[in-house]
Amino acid sequence: MLSFIVADSLFGPFFRKYFYYYDSYPVVIQIAVFLTAVAISATIIAYLSIIFRRGKGYLTDVRTRKINTFIDNLITDNIIFNEEILAGVPPQDVKLDLEPFQKQVFSQGWVKQALVDRLIYFANSFSGDRNLLFKRLFVELELEKLSFNKLKSFNNSTKILGLVELTSMSVAVADVLILPLTNSRNRKLRSEARIAYIKLSKNDPFKFFDDATEPLLLWDQLELFKIITTTEGLTIPNFARWITYSTNKSIVSFCLKLVVHYNQHAAIPSIVKLLDNKDHYLRVEAIKCLGKLKADDIEEKLIAIYNNQPLNCQIEILKAIGRFSTGKQIQFLRGEFIRTSDFDIKKNAARSLINHGRAAKDIVQNLIDTATADGAIILKHCMNPLIKY
Amino acid sequence: MPTNNIAAKKILLIDDDELILKVMNRILTKEGYNVIAVNNGKDALEKIEAEKYDMVITDLMMPYSNGFEIISKFKQHPNALNVPIIVISSVGTESAIKEGLNIGADDYIRKPIMPDELLIRIKRLIKE
Repeated sequence: MLSFIVADSLFGPFFRKYFYYYDSYPVVIQIAVFLTAVAISATIIAYLSIIFRRGKGYLTDVRTRKINTFIDNLITDNIIFNEEILAGVPPQDVKLDLEPFQKQVFSQGWVKQALVDRLIYFANSFSGDRNLLFKRLFVELELEKLSFNKLKSFNNSTKILGLVELTSMSVAVADVLILPLTNSRNRKLRSEARIAYIKLSKNDPFKFFDDATEPLLLWDQLELFKIITTTEGLTIPNFARWITYSTNKSIVSFCLKLVVHYNQHAAIPSIVKLLDNKDHYLRVEAIKCLGKLKADDIEEKLIAIYNNQPLNCQIEILKAIGRFSTGKQIQFLRGEFIRTSDFDIKKNAARSLINHGRAAKDIVQNLIDTATADGAIILKHCMNPLIKY
Repeated sequence: MPTNNIAAKKILLIDDDELILKVMNRILTKEGYNVIAVNNGKDALEKIEAEKYDMVITDLMMPYSNGFEIISKFKQHPNALNVPIIVISSVGTESAIKEGLNIGADDYIRKPIMPDELLIRIKRLIKE
């Protein structure tokens, strides 16, 4: 009611002026007229705002496209067709002509930012000597100061932008600047900071594993895995250190994947200790890791704990036995295949039996002959080499 | 400096990355090649139908028609006999490289590219 009185005091005179009979209308009609007017005004304002934003965006696009063409030509002339590079001078000895990049136009902030963006684009598109020149140009023009300033911003998106720029141009950053960001509450910032830390830290690129309190999400693990496995010159540590001591389960899980990738057999004792961990998801990861490392010494232990494990751990144990293929557990696998009514257990027991090859050939044939129709189908399905698990 | 024997060589350059297209066009033109640059598979297929080329350099992931399709169709074209094809792609998986080479590409270069390396490979493959 109060809002109506306030609105009436604001818009009432307008209605009274242009709607002669406004005061004679019943209150309900007055309210309806008022609301209609508000709705029409709001729609007009919304459309005008959209048109304004689109117009502004279009003008920005035109302006950016124009300056990008100018910058691209400048970079192509000075870096791609650099006379010294074409003559075979090593990129670190090439004398860069900075003058074209210090013209008056580059004093404007948005043009400087466009130059940063184009340099990053060029660096991502061309490798070799020219790639080094793009990075040198970035530093010699002191554009990294812009990126460092972004790291000081309160806005997380700006910080992320700064990190991406520094990472793309391989500018060394002090650990104290990035390390706090690796535990940011903002998922995207945290992820970019971890990537930047691994790529840029000169001392210990994996140090943030020690202090990581926030979880390493699966997607982040995928991104980090790619960065770790593709970054040249990275010293790979023994990941057993974090498997043993880290209290962050996602870090332990990620380290298990890295142990498999780098085939770190020295980490096996630390992984075996995880078999007693209360978290069964972590036990699954540990068993999977042991299977892939072909740590067949622990086969007996896996059999011993098998009956006390939940379904996902049992399946992983069956897979691990298949990966070991020592031939010592063929009867166990056969027993599981016959005993269980669970489809997943049956399928994995069958698959692991078949993985044993010749050693289990007779048993598999015998099972096909004697099993139920469903059992035989599962066995035949598992024998198809095109079907992967 | 361009040499006369490569001045007539016509290269079809296909990439949806405008920067690569622009820069490679300039580099190849400077080397004396006659470059026809298109930024999508559909236009590329039209060009292939209409003209004869001495070499095709193509990206894999493009709008309308991808690089694999372009190579397959190009290889079936009567004018395309013995015309070398170079794939330049950011897809660096073993399966993509195998597939590219299997369907008829003569070389496979991963992005980011080294312009000098690409030039050497072009010179090696293109018939003088």
